[in-house]
Amino acid sequence: MKKAFAVAKWEYIEKIKSKSFLISLFLTPLIMVGAGIIPSLMMSRPDTESIVIGIIDESGNYEAPLAKALESRYKLANGQPNYLLRQIPFGYTNDFEEVKQRADKMVIDEMIEGYLILKTNILADSIVDYRSKNAGNIKITSRLERALKDVIMEKKATERGINPSIVKEITATVDLKTIKLTKGGKEEEGGFEKIFMSSYIFMMMMFFLIMTSGQLLVRSMLEEKSNRVVEVLMSSSPANHLMAGKILGLSALGLTQIGFWALIGIIASLKFSVTMIPLAGAALLLVYFILGYIFYAAIFVAAGAPLSTEQEAQQVTGYLVIILIIPIMLTIMIIQNPDSTLSKILSYIPFLTASMMAVRIPIQMPSTLEIISTIILLVISSIVAIWVAGKIFRTTILSYGKRPSIKELWLLVKSK
Amino acid sequence: MLTAIDVRKEFATVVAVDGVSLEANRGEILGLLGPNGAGKTTSIRMILNIIQPDSGKILFDGKPFSEEIRDHLGYLPEERGLYRKNKLLNTILYFASLKGIDTAEGKRRAYKWLERFDLLTAYDRKIEELSKGNQQKVQFITSIIHEPDLVILDEPFSGLDPVNQIILKDIMLEMKHQGKAVIFSTHQMDQAEKLCDKICLINKGKVVLEGALADVKSSYGSNTVRIEFDGDPNILSTHPAFSAVQLYDNYAELVLANSIKPHIVLRDISQLLDIRKFENTEPSLNAIFLKMVGTEKRDGQAKEAR
Repeated sequence: MKKAFAVAKWEYIEKIKSKSFLISLFLTPLIMVGAGIIPSLMMSRPDTESIVIGIIDESGNYEAPLAKALESRYKLANGQPNYLLRQIPFGYTNDFEEVKQRADKMVIDEMIEGYLILKTNILADSIVDYRSKNAGNIKITSRLERALKDVIMEKKATERGINPSIVKEITATVDLKTIKLTKGGKEEEGGFEKIFMSSYIFMMMMFFLIMTSGQLLVRSMLEEKSNRVVEVLMSSSPANHLMAGKILGLSALGLTQIGFWALIGIIASLKFSVTMIPLAGAALLLVYFILGYIFYAAIFVAAGAPLSTEQEAQQVTGYLVIILIIPIMLTIMIIQNPDSTLSKILSYIPFLTASMMAVRIPIQMPSTLEIISTIILLVISSIVAIWVAGKIFRTTILSYGKRPSIKELWLLVKSK
Repeated sequence: MLTAIDVRKEFATVVAVDGVSLEANRGEILGLLGPNGAGKTTSIRMILNIIQPDSGKILFDGKPFSEEIRDHLGYLPEERGLYRKNKLLNTILYFASLKGIDTAEGKRRAYKWLERFDLLTAYDRKIEELSKGNQQKVQFITSIIHEPDLVILDEPFSGLDPVNQIILKDIMLEMKHQGKAVIFSTHQMDQAEKLCDKICLINKGKVVLEGALADVKSSYGSNTVRIEFDGDPNILSTHPAFSAVQLYDNYAELVLANSIKPHIVLRDISQLLDIRKFENTEPSLNAIFLKMVGTEKRDGQAKEAR
């Protein structure tokens, strides 16, 4: 195995210095963190200035109570109201279209963030229009909605002769505080988002890691083929050792990357006191991660060895990306039902095992039986994959020209 | 050192090597000759255990291939290439490590060879920054850094300038004198003629000619004349005195037809051409090659065969 280590060392050191590796090393966590944290930061960031909302109040009955409701609920840090209502009066003609045009212009000119249209029959149909350049701003719309609901409810109650404060008390909203229970009976507060993010980040990292290093591997094999270094390699070392060295080097590369990211994660979690997956879960994830990684490394070797042009390489890595993307697309479904039969079945497909478990473990620890059986499955699949890759590698690494078809490869694997 | 007995390799559609036997001894340079597609590369790959023969035996000092033997083989493939993005010294050390040479020893040897090839100052440069010829020198170093007992060089001279060709030739002769077995595969008959002790000519997967170079040549008799001249060479191609003719602009290698005496021919053609040099000798390896491979024609082929 000395030669396998020599190959592994070379693959590791040469790839770790490559630009594409360094880019993925630093860029991936940035993208992850960016995609995960920035929107939630934007959402929860308090406003520093009052936001002006226009209102066209046909009956004239709602502007004052709505302003009061908004002011009592939402205040800026300095005690000023977060939202200021600004009445947009009808002109002399009482023309609804005219006032709307004027209001639209105010929005476009950024004099107001947006404006509400409260018609006279609002109590009947409870429909309020909100027109804004940024209609997707959930923070504002949900707050306006809540305040409007209060106001309308109050009006309706008084009309029916009921004391509004009683209604308020009866219809008090329930705040669902989600508490995640772990095996040790420890309580852990965690919202859906948090769980989603930790699972999702983990899986995305795995995806990026396998993709970048897999592509590096395919590319380097292609280079060795095109410059015929492979002949010298094959004359210097048994094909199996050569392949083992490549997989080993690549795995070491993956571990370096994940170790680096974990370090960033730990630092980040200490600094921002974000709850992380408990350590036991993390260790288990690492096991799945390594096994899944080796499995895919073997697949990439098998897929890359028969290729002889860059174009073919792109095609083949394209197929592999599709396989790798499947679990990501399934994530939301799995998160909602981590223990469903489908989730369990999917966990037993070697291509998906590692990522499925990466999603499931942080949410709800699968049963010990399931963990052991999937690990065994993944170990066996990895061995089989390496064996198959070895056969394909030995015979196709020296062949040039047309890429063999799946059928030809299958015959090759079956042959002695 | 190496004995191949009746080695055969078949690919899907062709028999690449059809019962080849050859022997490479220590202290000898064996010329492995043959046209393109003759089965030389396949033979070499089988010797190196890169691919397995379908039948036949390949023995090293009487023993079959083993992993230990691998470290004592050196190989320079015909098609050249190295890791482009890597540094020169690192590349050499990597190949040395694959042959079981540790870094310290590898460095010592690498510096020695780099100095000999006048590349010492470039040791920290990337391969792709070197000229083609220099890349080739580096690749040659990688194939012999582990001081192999059997080294197979496939067209080692192609792409080298005359100065470096001399260095390479000296090294090959040194290896021979150090008791190494050298297999020298080439199309360039003049190179083979100067360097080889023995030759093995393969055509269409079969050995068509083998033996010590001197024996091979003398077996073809001394009915060859080489002339250098000024004048129209086409007179020679139709001249009845010759059974085979290779023409160059002002040089020709001619085989005398049966029982024609050289001095009669000389008298005859000196009236037609301005003869500068006339030599009655054994045939050149090139002529033998052309004869054996069967592409010889009375004219027109000379340029291709040079």
